[in-house]
Amino acid sequence: MKLSSFNFIDRPQLHVLQWLALVLLSVGVVSAAGAQSSDGERPVPILTGNAGYFTFVNGGQVELNPQFNPVLLLPLGDKWLIESRGSFEGDFERKNDGSGPYGGMVEKEIDYLQADYIANRYVTFTAGRFLTPFGMYNERMYPIWIRDLQTVPLIFGLNQESSNGVMMRGGFSLNSKVNLNYATYFSTFSTIHKFESDRIAGFRVGVFLPGPRIEVGGSWRKELQEDRPNAFGFHFAWQPLAIPLNLRSEYARSDDGSGYWIEAAYRLSQVPFWQKAMRRTEIVGRAQQFFSTGLDADEAEEYGLPEASARQGDFGLNYYLHDGLKATASYGRQFSTIGNLNVWSVGIAYRFAIPLGKVGPQ
Amino acid sequence: MRTKIIWLASVLALASLVCTAMPASKAADSNSNNNSALLNQNSEDIAVMRVEGERRFKSNCGRCHAAPHKFPPRMMATIVRHMRVRATITDEDRRLILLYMTQ
Repeated sequence: MKLSSFNFIDRPQLHVLQWLALVLLSVGVVSAAGAQSSDGERPVPILTGNAGYFTFVNGGQVELNPQFNPVLLLPLGDKWLIESRGSFEGDFERKNDGSGPYGGMVEKEIDYLQADYIANRYVTFTAGRFLTPFGMYNERMYPIWIRDLQTVPLIFGLNQESSNGVMMRGGFSLNSKVNLNYATYFSTFSTIHKFESDRIAGFRVGVFLPGPRIEVGGSWRKELQEDRPNAFGFHFAWQPLAIPLNLRSEYARSDDGSGYWIEAAYRLSQVPFWQKAMRRTEIVGRAQQFFSTGLDADEAEEYGLPEASARQGDFGLNYYLHDGLKATASYGRQFSTIGNLNVWSVGIAYRFAIPLGKVGPQ
Repeated sequence: MRTKIIWLASVLALASLVCTAMPASKAADSNSNNNSALLNQNSEDIAVMRVEGERRFKSNCGRCHAAPHKFPPRMMATIVRHMRVRATITDEDRRLILLYMTQ
């Protein structure tokens, strides 16, 4: 008997019931596939995150950028995790064309506030506000203590940073040489202050080869509002076994523009002299290009994209002072149809982790 | 009409019960299996798993960030669960990395 034969139920109610039945069926099927076992150790809530202070000089304009990004991790039972990240980011510049005192705003955002249900080894359900899984930078490399260069890639603004809705994701081994990971999601339109999002749907799929440490993946996203544009992208990462090199790259294309970046980070731990200092030092290089589709200046600023097509080369230096504490500096040169400019950055980033309960001996 | 509503509500309630009950029973089973499996493992097995955990740690965690210091086991359990979701690492990798980071 089809649900639609229940003519005493009006259409919106029917859709809700169909959706509910589908969700319940999905949860039942994935539960039956096998539940995840206990970790052995009872997890404790943690307040973690990062803090940093950076100075950027873009085309001669100095910007002071203090940041504090707390992350709350609240595990519940064997299968649940509530996680949230806030962002407090200052943006201070000299007023009066560079001759006045520094002034500006502290931007406050909630990057994610989500409930994760680890149903089994194949599927995790997520609901709430989450980082949009498109490419790898936004979800995995954005935190300031992780990113190798403090300036984000030119194409970063092509992605929707956060979405509100539901997501299914997971990673599992296809065989001993290949791991598959995926994420698929739906986000609803929201204008709620600090919880803004667009109505979109999309997925990302990736393959990781643990032997040669190669990861490749692709992402697709469709907006379900206005002109309903599509966006797609690819990502690639490689950590060769023989040398401490981290090679990463992303390509993205949408109605707002397209472009790519390729980045290499090399830890100098194999350099045979000044070992104590060299093993803490990392050099980074990034090449990138952005192709504009003709956004006007206001739109470009709103999306965080360059106003015109541009290409940029960056060179950076990171020094790991202590676990979670790193000093960083970089120089880049941007070539654009509306003018070339130098991009400097210098700063320090710190990652902290504080247990919110008794942890016992280490 | 009333019968149909009751029937539909009963089906949904039953589905909810099944969904709620199954993970609990599965988790209980797997917990006991896990504990007995750990008790049966000798120190050589654990040493081998620890080496494998270190390899998995380097290949998975090193994809994004530098190796952190080890945290107390209860903190590591939370962090590894967070990374299981964030970095979509496999369940087997999660177990071995947690073993390596807490031994």
